[in-house]
Amino acid sequence: MSNQAKVIINKLPTGVPGLDEIVGGGIPEFSFNIIAGAPGSGKTTLAHQFVFANATPKRPALYFTVLGESAIKMLRYQQQYTFFDPSKLPDSIRFINLSQVVLEKDLSAVLEQITREVAKANPAVVVVDSFRTMVRKPQSDMDLQSFIQRLALFLASCQATTFLIGEYDEEELRDNPVFTVADGLFWLRQTVERNSIVRKLQIIKLRGQSSVPGLHTFRITDAGVQAFSRTFGLTARKSNPPRVRRLSFGVPELDKMLDGGVREGDSVLVAGSSGTGKSVLATQFIAEGIRHGEPGIVAVFEERPEAYAERANSLGLDLETPQKEGKLTILYLRPLDLSVDETMQSILDAVQKIGAKRLVIDSLAGFEMALSPGFRADFRESLYRMIFALTGIGVTILSTVEVDESFTEFPFSTYSISFLCDDIIRLRYVSIDGQLRKIAVVIKMRGGNHAKDIREYEITSKGVVILGKRMTEYQALISGIPVSTNQPDPKEEPSPRPGIKRTT
Amino acid sequence: MNTPPEMRDLARLLLANEASAGTTTEPVESVALRVYEKLRQSLTAIAGAAAFESIAFRALMQAQSEAPRLWAVQITKDGTLQGFDEFEPQIDNDIDIASEEGAILIARLLNLLYIFLGQALTLSLLRTAWPDEAFDDRNSIHGRKRE
Repeated sequence: MSNQAKVIINKLPTGVPGLDEIVGGGIPEFSFNIIAGAPGSGKTTLAHQFVFANATPKRPALYFTVLGESAIKMLRYQQQYTFFDPSKLPDSIRFINLSQVVLEKDLSAVLEQITREVAKANPAVVVVDSFRTMVRKPQSDMDLQSFIQRLALFLASCQATTFLIGEYDEEELRDNPVFTVADGLFWLRQTVERNSIVRKLQIIKLRGQSSVPGLHTFRITDAGVQAFSRTFGLTARKSNPPRVRRLSFGVPELDKMLDGGVREGDSVLVAGSSGTGKSVLATQFIAEGIRHGEPGIVAVFEERPEAYAERANSLGLDLETPQKEGKLTILYLRPLDLSVDETMQSILDAVQKIGAKRLVIDSLAGFEMALSPGFRADFRESLYRMIFALTGIGVTILSTVEVDESFTEFPFSTYSISFLCDDIIRLRYVSIDGQLRKIAVVIKMRGGNHAKDIREYEITSKGVVILGKRMTEYQALISGIPVSTNQPDPKEEPSPRPGIKRTT
Repeated sequence: MNTPPEMRDLARLLLANEASAGTTTEPVESVALRVYEKLRQSLTAIAGAAAFESIAFRALMQAQSEAPRLWAVQITKDGTLQGFDEFEPQIDNDIDIASEEGAILIARLLNLLYIFLGQALTLSLLRTAWPDEAFDDRNSIHGRKRE
């Protein structure tokens, strides 16, 4: 092995939130890249963000516009984005129009013009937008190939990082010599899925460094393009070592059933039908964390944060004060065209902002409904990525899920996601002595012991309260229609209070 | 609709600056042409000749309603002005009129740039064309020499 140092390739910031993570830290300096996609997919905006993030008066950016979109209109619209800083023009960013050369001359003249301007300005960044319109004139493939190769060679030797922007269809991806020359190939897609628009970005190729594979959703907002990595930007972070610390629910008897509480960094699923107290239990979990100095995030989809806090208040749990103190964030995520990645980004941002240790997702059904229809099909896979990413940084997640009550089955979730959860707590109704009571049971606790007891509970003004001891007087409790193991006194009236009436 | 006063002021400022840079015997039309030409080159560089030509054509149309003699002026394909320097001033008053016609045309052009590109980018264009001038970002009429 040689001890001589390898070349170090600097990585330039993309200027696009989330994209640096996806491309593996930034765009390789002096690389020759192509941004491809259909019209309206965000190619120009992406290039502008890169330009504004990297151009300086000393090493400016040259932005060549060709035919295609009118440069005046482009500037008119692009300056609406917050990243567009007009003060950078013309010292740091120079727009140069090549349409006349393209219309009147050939590719050699275009190359000559670019060469001349680049030699004059010594730019750090060069963009040709849209380079595709330049080569739509009748040319042989060899002409185009030669042009691209000469351009790539020249710009690399000028120490410029280059982006060519072009409208391409998916079918053109194969056998196109242009893509062979490029060091990086960024493909932007925009598809309609039912009533929602879904934008996705793929790094098809990026020489010299590993990017995150797959399709990443992105959004175009007032701030420009924002990308959401499939790994939620957590690939580079070291996972926390396994913890043995137990987190209390604030329900002493439930903590005992969980052998002291939920293991930190676990993913907990609380499943039950409507009214069984899933949200109450989740609220107690988050409030208990705050009591122990563990900031928390509650992602709600079915009610507004004010209503959530108000309901907690009725249980004697103050969620207003910790919100004001920055120890709790209640996220209301309701738009119907969210991608999981966007939702995750919102949650992650909130987690990082307050250093959250506990996260409640209330509920998975609401979460699914908030997603764009196109993403609902991938909900399970997305949940997997989300849980993996968040628990990897030590956040303990409690998700609630509504299940249909059945007297023949005992389902844990309608999503078949129980394998994603370390711990499952099942709440359900049972019919006992002419009353509809509630029972709780810990179904699963990965990596730890837990009580096998079936316990009755009530929802009181103090939240979920576990009653008595395990229910030994009934069989088939989980069926919802238990059978008493004792003979009841026929003369005795059923207890009016919703406790267990022991018959002797 | 007449040219906004602040645009006319800015146009006059550019004309005055350009006049002070030229010779005293230079016809006023030449000064306006030089200002126009600098704007043309500056905008053509970033947006192309066709884009400049279309904006200049619109500016000329608007200016013609205020200055009838401009009906004799034409915009060529590359955006240059044709016929503007062919006015023959017969009396001193004609010189003032020509000067005002130039100001109107330049003001209309600047106004369209403001409308399409906004103040910041228009001033950026002006800085490219007149690198020695410092244009005030607040109202752009108080041009002053850079220190």
